[in-house]
Amino acid sequence: MSEDKRSKNEFIKESSRQLRGTIAEGLADVVTGAISEDDSQLTKFHGTYLQDDRDVRGERGKKKLEKAYSFMIRVRLPGGFTTSKQWLALDAIAGTYANHTLRLTTRQTFQFHGVIKSNMKRTMQAINAALLDTLAACGDVNRNVLACGNPFLSKAHAAAHKLAVDVSEHLLPQTGAYHEIWLDGEQVQDKTRPAKPNEEPIYGTHYLPRKFKIVIAVPPSNDIDIYAHDLGYIAIVDDAGKLAGWNVTVGGGMGMTHGDAETFPRTADLLGFCTTEQAIDVAEKIVTVQRDWGNRELRKRARLKYTIEDRGLDNFRAEVENRLGYKLGEPRPFEFTSTGDVIGWAQGSDKKWHLTLFIENGRIKDVPGWTLRSALREIAEKHPGGFLVTANQNVTIANVTAKAKPKIEAILKEHGIDIGTSLSGLRRSSMSCVSLPTCGLGLAESERFLPELLTALEDSLDRAGLKNDEIVIRMTGCPNGCARPYLAEIGLVGRNPGLYNLYLGAAFNGDRLNKLYAEDVDKAGIVRLLDPMFARYAKEREQGEHFGDFAIRAGYVKATTGGNRFHADLELVKSVA
Amino acid sequence: MTAQPLLPKNAPFTPEEIDKLNSVVARTTPQQRAWLAGFFAGFEAAQAGGAAQPQQPAAAAKPRQPLTILYASESGNCEALAMKAKKSAQKHGLDAKVFDFADADFALLSKAKSILVFAATWGEGDPPGRAVDFYNALMSDKAPRIEGVQFAVLALGDTAYAQFCATGKKIDERLEALGGKRAFARVDLDLDYAKQAAEWTEKALAELAPADDAGTATVVHVDFKGAGFAPDDDEPQFTAENPLTGEISALVNLNGTGSTRETWHIEIAADAPGFSYLPGDAIGVLPENDPQLALEFAEAVGLGANGEVVQKLRERFDITTLSRAFIESYTKLTGRTDAAALADQKAFTEFAEDRQLIDFIETCAEKLTPEQLFSILRPLPGRLYSVASSPKAHPGEAHLLIGAVRWESHGRKRGGVSSTYFADRRRVGDPVRVYVKPNRHFRLPEDGNRPIIMIGAGTGVAPYRAFIEDRAEAGAAGKSWLIFGERNFTNDFLYQLEWQDHLAAKALSRIDVAFSRDQPEKIYVQHRLWEERADIIRWVEEGAHIYVCGDEKGMARDVDVALARVLAEAARGDDEAGRAKLKELAKAGRYQRDVY
Ligand code: SRM
Ligand SMILES: Cc1cc2nc3c(=O)[nH]c(=O)nc-3n(C[C@H](O)[C@H](O)[C@H](O)COP(=O)(O)OP(=O)(O)OC[C@H]3O[C@@H](n4cnc5c(N)ncnc54)[C@H](O)[C@@H]3O)c2cc1C
Ligand SMILES: Cc1cc2nc3c(=O)[nH]c(=O)nc-3n(C[C@H](O)[C@H](O)[C@H](O)COP(=O)(O)O)c2cc1C
Ligand code: SF4
Repeated sequence: MSEDKRSKNEFIKESSRQLRGTIAEGLADVVTGAISEDDSQLTKFHGTYLQDDRDVRGERGKKKLEKAYSFMIRVRLPGGFTTSKQWLALDAIAGTYANHTLRLTTRQTFQFHGVIKSNMKRTMQAINAALLDTLAACGDVNRNVLACGNPFLSKAHAAAHKLAVDVSEHLLPQTGAYHEIWLDGEQVQDKTRPAKPNEEPIYGTHYLPRKFKIVIAVPPSNDIDIYAHDLGYIAIVDDAGKLAGWNVTVGGGMGMTHGDAETFPRTADLLGFCTTEQAIDVAEKIVTVQRDWGNRELRKRARLKYTIEDRGLDNFRAEVENRLGYKLGEPRPFEFTSTGDVIGWAQGSDKKWHLTLFIENGRIKDVPGWTLRSALREIAEKHPGGFLVTANQNVTIANVTAKAKPKIEAILKEHGIDIGTSLSGLRRSSMSCVSLPTCGLGLAESERFLPELLTALEDSLDRAGLKNDEIVIRMTGCPNGCARPYLAEIGLVGRNPGLYNLYLGAAFNGDRLNKLYAEDVDKAGIVRLLDPMFARYAKEREQGEHFGDFAIRAGYVKATTGGNRFHADLELVKSVA
Repeated sequence: MTAQPLLPKNAPFTPEEIDKLNSVVARTTPQQRAWLAGFFAGFEAAQAGGAAQPQQPAAAAKPRQPLTILYASESGNCEALAMKAKKSAQKHGLDAKVFDFADADFALLSKAKSILVFAATWGEGDPPGRAVDFYNALMSDKAPRIEGVQFAVLALGDTAYAQFCATGKKIDERLEALGGKRAFARVDLDLDYAKQAAEWTEKALAELAPADDAGTATVVHVDFKGAGFAPDDDEPQFTAENPLTGEISALVNLNGTGSTRETWHIEIAADAPGFSYLPGDAIGVLPENDPQLALEFAEAVGLGANGEVVQKLRERFDITTLSRAFIESYTKLTGRTDAAALADQKAFTEFAEDRQLIDFIETCAEKLTPEQLFSILRPLPGRLYSVASSPKAHPGEAHLLIGAVRWESHGRKRGGVSSTYFADRRRVGDPVRVYVKPNRHFRLPEDGNRPIIMIGAGTGVAPYRAFIEDRAEAGAAGKSWLIFGERNFTNDFLYQLEWQDHLAAKALSRIDVAFSRDQPEKIYVQHRLWEERADIIRWVEEGAHIYVCGDEKGMARDVDVALARVLAEAARGDDEAGRAKLKELAKAGRYQRDVY
């Protein structure tokens, strides 16, 4: 028999007794803040990662201390909605057990950073006590399901959110491990999800070959970046304004590895159309095909996007339809206009108001004179309407009556918070991943660096008179692409400390990837390269032409027509003194 | 003064020999001369008749008068003085027996003919831990009368404390109240007690010695076939008066960046023949003051320009401890009324509240001559640190774990002399003056198979590092259990990597931790003791020795209470039963404390 070529993680999952491993034992070991390597692969499925503070790595050994370990915990929050009560609970957890910040993610949920092992159970229990959980927020399973911005805007938006919740619930792992380990076997208050130990009808013993991500969009907004995900639904509304069903997209993804052309970001393909009744079944079948067809030897190429590259979209569709027992419909026409959030007040079909705040890189914290965390806490205390986390790391204060509007504004003002409308269009359209000091994979700063880079670029924009133009810029500390940088008109991806690859030419509405323009550029270099482009763009742009399209027309980069062309047609600028 | 017994020039010896002999006999006591006379008589007899049959004494042998020496000691100073006194008692023809207060009882007291006491004061005017029981008994009305019994008391203390030498004073009064006869007046000595203590002891012994003994010889029977005299017992060679200059070879703040703590691990190369210690001992350090403070101090008394004075203040004198004793002598010297006012008990306690000597000097600034200044300052006392290394694991080195003492009060940043001496003013390669302070009351069990339970918070973990290193080197099979407490897991887990290694190597069997500030409710070591009481009891039943080290007020007290409760539960009795059991363990040397 030939030797088993499956990747290490496959064996870990196989012998984990449905994600139990020795996590419980590891938590009980008080001499270390860490857990075993294998267990740290398994805890991801429970929604938490072992990390260490990379800022202090250098000193620890000398001080006879192990690495400064702590855990990152990611909440599962389909559609990104929390009640005000839940917000208060999460805020309290951040202050009691985490690093006093809440981190809004690019996938519409919250992360806690810096929770030490001895507080893990308490924290998980506190999260569950708020009727939230973290199950499958990470790991080789379906992750948090995103839904277009605001369910209170229209019926279609509401349907999108409902679908997000239903799909998320349907694809949850059924193992009892989560409840045993974190909740001492207790059930979450909500009884709709009794744990069925050792029973994974959809996932089986080995779960998926890799993470799996689902999003739901309502055109014309593409705020959830549908082309970046394994599986997407696009709401199709008929002329009568009624929801007809959903276009289905598959095979999107961002992650790649520097210098490995076999890995690349990929924009999703249109697979077909389905009704709301079929939607969940379709999701399940697509997941099972990926479960059976996905690459379990090379984790680097285990995402659905590679399965589709390698097997072909038609074969994939055929297998899905075969498992469904019926054919998918023809995709219906639709149009996306942008990926960003509309910052500021918006009114829903029910006449209620919704305020979307720009939150720099999703980090909610207090700093003297700018006490965002306190402001939002105060609003949550006084305002029952709830909150929405957007896929752009922003937050929407939902369901505000016309009467309450000034109160909310007053609270924000008191805490020195600007809604964001006065910020530059570039900053309002910016995102960065977390990277240092918590992310173990970061090669360069991101969250801690982007703000100052933007300040430098804003000078150029001012000179060019582009202060208010929305230009999508995203930065990540490594090529994994957590802030979806390859779909940004200006993408910056860390390569080495202080050095970034610069990508240009993505579509403003998120349907075209960008392309590498310059390698290993530092802050000054980035400004030096972009400054003249901004000037030219201001002068030469056509009516309504976006910066990404201009970058191609002006010849800075070739258009990327698909994921497998991402590394093709490169003409890098050399001279970066 | 009696004339010295010198050999005449015409004695039957060479001049050199006469000088040599005189150099000895000149300093002899009557008792010693009597002994020598008897010795030679016995020797001649032995030569003549052979040592077989007993000799006729040249003079009737007087029985040596018994002397009972008692000491109440925590860190061993009084104990050492008692041992020295026992030796010189021989010279005074006294047959001395030494007892620790911990082992003393009324019977002993009633039997005593004459009593010499060395007593230290701890806590806030309290007797040393091991002495408490007998001390209380002595003070109770159950105490027996000691009509006419001669006694003398030496009290050790520290003028830094309000209740200076309280324990010694009370014992002195009590012995008199019980009918004893004070043979020699008590002295109350500060940290620089060595010289005065020696002189006082000599005088006190002379008083307690049987006067009529002098001159009359008693034949001393010597078995010349047997070995000579017992070798002098183990007095440490390096002392506060005679320290060893070692070199700092490592100096690391073990607390991670962002910690609220500052705890320094210090390795000192002290590779000298006479410098030897055991786990459980303390290492004494002679620090130096902050040069800036020394300068400000000199300036306050108008000597800022005198470099020599500033240097002396830095190196030799205690310029931080504010005591009433000092204010009194300062008042005497300067006659200042404002100083006099502050010497009043109430006024003093108010003023002294987180103030130091410098505050006083600046308040009552007065120009002084160097001589005047030095005449009222006390020498800079050494500081003790539980040794954190085993010589087996680190030959020629001594490791210390020192918590930096820093605070701010009355608009002045302040720091502990010794701890900031290391934290701020010493670097690797710098010299440091050290000595060994043996502590035979904090020792690993002789039997390496005995389980040990080590309880400590903060720097209290220091001796346990030495213990575990020692057991690892010796390959001792006994179980070991460390219960450690600090503030935060991530930054304050002192020696974390080493504990992990010791656990992996099975040199440490178990560790429990209590980090008080990692969660909303405070968790301390005593809480862990209570949670784990079933296992504690099991271990004690298996013969475990229990150790407690660290801050007295901050931890050791609560641990003591918790242990009593645990033992009480085991005995299904009340807290009193637990206390009794704990005392029992202490008597058996199975409950040992090193607290400060
Ligand atoms: C928090 C977040 C970025 C943010 O600033 O918001 C994030 C943070 C991390 N991502 Fe991500 N990813 C986040 C969205 C994304 C996205 C964007 C999206 O999904 O819309 C992507 C690109 C889309 C995709 O999956 O292709 C993304 C692609 C990755 C990858 C590369 C996956 C791949 O197929 O190559 C990794 C590395 C891996 O999985 O091996 C990764 C791994 C990580 C880890 C957990 C690092 C690790 O594995 O040790 C990062 C934790 C950093 C920290 O300290 O918090 N993250 N990650 C986002 C959390 C989303 C959520 O709530 O679930
Ligand atoms: C047997 C024994 C073993 C010891 N082992 C260790 C050990 O292993 N590790 C260790 O670190 N220490 C140990 N100590 C304590 C050590 O000897 C010193 O007392 C300690 O290091 C402080 O000395 P210092 O010279 O730095 O401070 P000092 O100059 O002596 O100043 C200490 C004094 O400053 C004052 N003070 C301190 N903080 C404040 C405040 N916040 N507000 C107002 N006043 C304040 C108090 O009067 C205190 O007595 C031990 C002590 C003994 C007796
Ligand atoms: C924690 C501690 C508390 C002390 N409390 C007092 C006190 O209240 N009064 C006093 O005169 N001396 C006090 N001293 C000083 C000791 O009595 C002094 O160091 C003495 O030399 C110790 O003798 P020993 O080694 O025999 O115990 C204290 C010393 C320490 C370390
Ligand atoms: S992109 Fe890379 S550096 Fe940034 S969070 Fe994701 S994994 Fe970490």
